[in-house]
Amino acid sequence: MPKILVVDDEEHIRLLYSEELKEAGYEVITADSGYKLLERIDEEKPDLVILDIKMVDYNGLDLLQDIRNQYYDLPVILSTAYDTFKEDMKSIAADFYVVKSFDLTELKKKIAMALETRLP
Amino acid sequence: MAFYEENPQQVSKADIVVAIPSFNEAQTIGFAVEQAGAGLVEFFGNLESVLINCDNHSNDGTKDAFMKAASQVPKIYLSTPEDQRGKGNNLRNLFEKVRELEAKTVVVIEADVKNLAPYWIRNLGQPIVKGAGYVCPLYVRHKYEGTLTSSVVYPLTRCLYGRRVRQPDAGDFGFKGELVNQFLDSPVWTESIEHFGVDIWMTTIALNARMPIYQSFMGSPKIHRVKDPYAQLGVLFRQVVSAMFDLMAVYSDFWRMVKWSKPTALFGMDAQEVATPVPVEINMNKLHERFLKGFDDYFELWEKVFDQTHVNKLQEIRSLGLQHFSFPGQTWARILFEAFKAYSPMEMQQRSNLLDSLLPLYLGKVLSFVKKTERMSLQQAEEYVENECMVFEENKPYLVKIME
Repeated sequence: MPKILVVDDEEHIRLLYSEELKEAGYEVITADSGYKLLERIDEEKPDLVILDIKMVDYNGLDLLQDIRNQYYDLPVILSTAYDTFKEDMKSIAADFYVVKSFDLTELKKKIAMALETRLP
Repeated sequence: MAFYEENPQQVSKADIVVAIPSFNEAQTIGFAVEQAGAGLVEFFGNLESVLINCDNHSNDGTKDAFMKAASQVPKIYLSTPEDQRGKGNNLRNLFEKVRELEAKTVVVIEADVKNLAPYWIRNLGQPIVKGAGYVCPLYVRHKYEGTLTSSVVYPLTRCLYGRRVRQPDAGDFGFKGELVNQFLDSPVWTESIEHFGVDIWMTTIALNARMPIYQSFMGSPKIHRVKDPYAQLGVLFRQVVSAMFDLMAVYSDFWRMVKWSKPTALFGMDAQEVATPVPVEINMNKLHERFLKGFDDYFELWEKVFDQTHVNKLQEIRSLGLQHFSFPGQTWARILFEAFKAYSPMEMQQRSNLLDSLLPLYLGKVLSFVKKTERMSLQQAEEYVENECMVFEENKPYLVKIME
């Protein structure tokens, strides 16, 4: 069962994602900030990270750079309430960019694509 | 071995090489040497460095301009024989020299860039020093600059080899020294690769070598000395596409296994100021005329090469007229896939004719892109290109199927 790490400082988003993604067959773990995120990734070894951009103490785009530098091929989906962050060049280091919604159809589609991406 | 070499400081080892390929660049190479040398001193001062001019036996004094340019960094001049032209041949000499010097980091920059600055050397070299295998620059580009890259090279490379490298043929690179072994041992070396095809050839080999690839944000456009972008379009198109098709044939085991695509890591995101690109004017009437002319010259060939559905689609596109002109991404992707299938077993002359027949279709695709994006911002146009790439990826099973 693929393990997904959800990083978001809003509790209701973590709950929503956890419930729906567990129902969809994924194992879900959560983090409420970017604090020691790389250590967490190292310990938990998730198959995919869903990363909020605008968190109280952390910028998800900077965290994305750190993840990409250390875990070159770890799939990361940026999940944000604002589609304007897509204009930030840093966002192209993400596998996908999804605008938050209570309907997780798009997010689930991108998760499936990110997990089935295959490079020899 | 290069046909000719001058190594006045007897350099026999180097950690980092900055190479400047050239042919008759006496007017501009001095500036490139000064900027590159300053970049090496400022950002790689603790490493043994060398500047290499890999030249095409220029007859305008390029060698003297290179050797006389002010720089603290030692220099080596290499040249092909007088009758051997092409950037690819220059780079082949470079690869051999890099192997001999046992250099760990190599940066290649073009000789005629007017706005080259020392930090460009940092941006292309630093990721390699930190562990990347290959670095492509990300220049700030106007939406109508580099249309061959946006319409063919980027979507095709991305869907084939699974990595999102936006400007894989920009002409400047950084790479790990050990990669020269892969370049020198490559089973593909054609006349196209000796010339314009060499940039995408290098990136494709790096992709297939499974090395970590970085894109380095340069924060500015790349401003060359003034040249007419359409003057060599036919040759450029033919050489780049044939290089890609030749590589596709060799790397089919790799690309058949690739599904979807992944991003690269980024470097240079600390750019304080981002320059605005110079607008590129496009003559839509001319593009449309050349697209239509393609039906007079090549329709018979297209009927032989493309699936009937796509031939019908081309006729439909032709009937739209300029006002409603649109060339769907799926048709374009499948036409390129079918062209590759037809290209593989062809003789040289037939291949050349097939590639020429794709040019008017490419110009039609550019026209469609211009019409779709004329009211879009650069960012919106970029999203449009990304969506077109997804269309290529979604249609890749068709390529795999027709090649079975």
